[in-house]
Amino acid sequence: MHRGLRRRLFLAGLLACGVHPVRAADRRYRIALANLDETTGATLEGLGFMGTEVRRSFELAARTLPVDMLYFDNAGDPARAIANTDAAIAAKIDLLVEYNADPDANAEIARRLAAASIPALALIDPIPGAPLYGPDNRNAGRIAGQALGAFALETWPGDQVLGVLIGDLADPGPAIRDRVQGITEGLREALPSLSLSPLDTGGQSVRADALFAKLLQTQRGQRMLIATLDDLSAVYAKNAIEMNRRQSDCVIVSQGLDRNIHGSASEKKEIDPNNRGSVVLGSVAYYMDRYGYDVLPLALRLLDGEKLPPRTVTKHILITAANVFQEYPPFDMN
Amino acid sequence: MRIAGLFSFLSVTLLSLFGQPAPAWAQSDCKALVAPSPFGPDDQTGATNRITPAVTKAAAADIQTGVVTAMAYPLTDGIPLFGTRFSKTVLTSFATMPGAEFGKNKLSYMEDTYLSQSHVGTHIDGIGHIGVQDCYYNQTPMGKYVTQNNLKRLGLENIKTFATRGVIIDAVKVFQEAGKLKANSACRRPCLDAGTMITEADLQAGLKMYNVSLREGDAVFINTGWGDLFEQYPAQNAAYNGGEPGIIDSAAKWLASQKVVAVGSDSWAVEVIPGENKDIAFPVHKTLITDNGIHIIENVRTQLIADAAANSKRATFFLSMTVPKAVGLTGTFVNIEAIQ
Repeated sequence: MHRGLRRRLFLAGLLACGVHPVRAADRRYRIALANLDETTGATLEGLGFMGTEVRRSFELAARTLPVDMLYFDNAGDPARAIANTDAAIAAKIDLLVEYNADPDANAEIARRLAAASIPALALIDPIPGAPLYGPDNRNAGRIAGQALGAFALETWPGDQVLGVLIGDLADPGPAIRDRVQGITEGLREALPSLSLSPLDTGGQSVRADALFAKLLQTQRGQRMLIATLDDLSAVYAKNAIEMNRRQSDCVIVSQGLDRNIHGSASEKKEIDPNNRGSVVLGSVAYYMDRYGYDVLPLALRLLDGEKLPPRTVTKHILITAANVFQEYPPFDMN
Repeated sequence: MRIAGLFSFLSVTLLSLFGQPAPAWAQSDCKALVAPSPFGPDDQTGATNRITPAVTKAAAADIQTGVVTAMAYPLTDGIPLFGTRFSKTVLTSFATMPGAEFGKNKLSYMEDTYLSQSHVGTHIDGIGHIGVQDCYYNQTPMGKYVTQNNLKRLGLENIKTFATRGVIIDAVKVFQEAGKLKANSACRRPCLDAGTMITEADLQAGLKMYNVSLREGDAVFINTGWGDLFEQYPAQNAAYNGGEPGIIDSAAKWLASQKVVAVGSDSWAVEVIPGENKDIAFPVHKTLITDNGIHIIENVRTQLIADAAANSKRATFFLSMTVPKAVGLTGTFVNIEAIQ
């Protein structure tokens, strides 16, 4: 008899007798999240999300899963990330979700985990040998570019249009580079000859206001498609547009969809069904405040022996006034 | 030909105006989205149908000492409100206007104007408050029954008195005794943290503490300790509004199966926020109000009655709560008292 068939018959017999073999899914796992940086005010990946939001998403997602969580804060420090790995190993975890940007430290973390026979799942920055979960920056950028291009063709057909990129453009990391590439590709699908003006905020979103105001004053009457690399820059660029009364010839699509722009329970909701006239058309969602809901199920699959693809990417969609409440319902519904 | 052309133009124009968003404008199939009322196709009263004279009489047996415990918070400036909600009063003070007095006895008077949304403070959610698309309690296609000012069906005027038995479930004690209390540092007393899920088993454990079995027509109140943040208004308003502990949908379904008439808590939505499923908005509201006509009572001051229950070892009381016959309203602030 074939071995697989024999095993299936054996299991069927056990079940018929009311004896259930212990399945991996029945046990609880001990999973640690080593978070990039939970320092107050520190934002992640050039977007407006904070480390505490990532951690909270794991806390919330874990409520309905067979996992006991341990949390570590790497505080943006590679040495601390390695020390946290040692602490996690000592705590006899089953799996480590590691979010750490330093490649050398990640290589060391991979070595220490391998020595302890503990699997890892990498968040955003790769860990040698570990499946990776993170954003598809180029795709997210492309979604924004396509939305701006479609808007121009529909609203300003035949008009000359200028593209503007606002954000931390000098950031040497691959995330910004990929987003900019995606935005450019998306825009040029609809407007192949579009010229793009870069405005570098140097990582200080507040500078988007003054930089863009200056550009607006030199480009009177010019239609502009504005792609911002973070939501706070979008809010400041919008302010410049309003101060210069250029609402009729500017439109913004941003990256992130953090609380700066969808508002959540706060009163200031830039993307909101009641604010459909905003020059901020939308923002491409990155869902960093929901990572736990995607990552913990992946971790469980890995622990259950499944081979994961080397890279799993976040869903990205354009969030506008028309769909924001489906993704982020406001709390004022009680 | 020209008439035909005009007709064609109008058709296209009308189609573009009204035909384009067809999915949003079409009446939903309410029979597919919402369960029918067990009280008949014309029912607008919901679960309060269950408060019969026998239920009220039985509840009156819970009055043993006559001690009255407050279960409503003060309605005043600075309490937690959500988003753009507002609640303001304007005083009309004729007492301070020389010459405005009445008669030789110089009678004066004062009045107030409420400029307030109804779902503020300690308040009841009516059964016209929550639906799925345009379908509300008892498969009501609510799109046909809304005006600029109020509802033409399912308004508060349709519900019966709440002269019934109240039951307090102290979830804080349940979690403490189970050794699973995860508190919030902003609370001055023990409280469950935001996002803490209260299950059917937790509710049953809370009932067992006082040897209470739910019966048809009961109003159930759950003490989570979260109201401690409400009481610190305005300092902790952001924390209070930012989430809450509460029941999960399966617990709400269990309460509905017990044929209760209302579920209240010392939180702003009664249900756990963030919810157990990030893609589902306010499932407990849908289960209780839309599917079962059971009222939700929010921002209830449950701590005092929970303390009273701990002292008296009695978790049941006669519920004193009057809801105005506010025609066509979806909710209103209420005063609640527990009489033991």
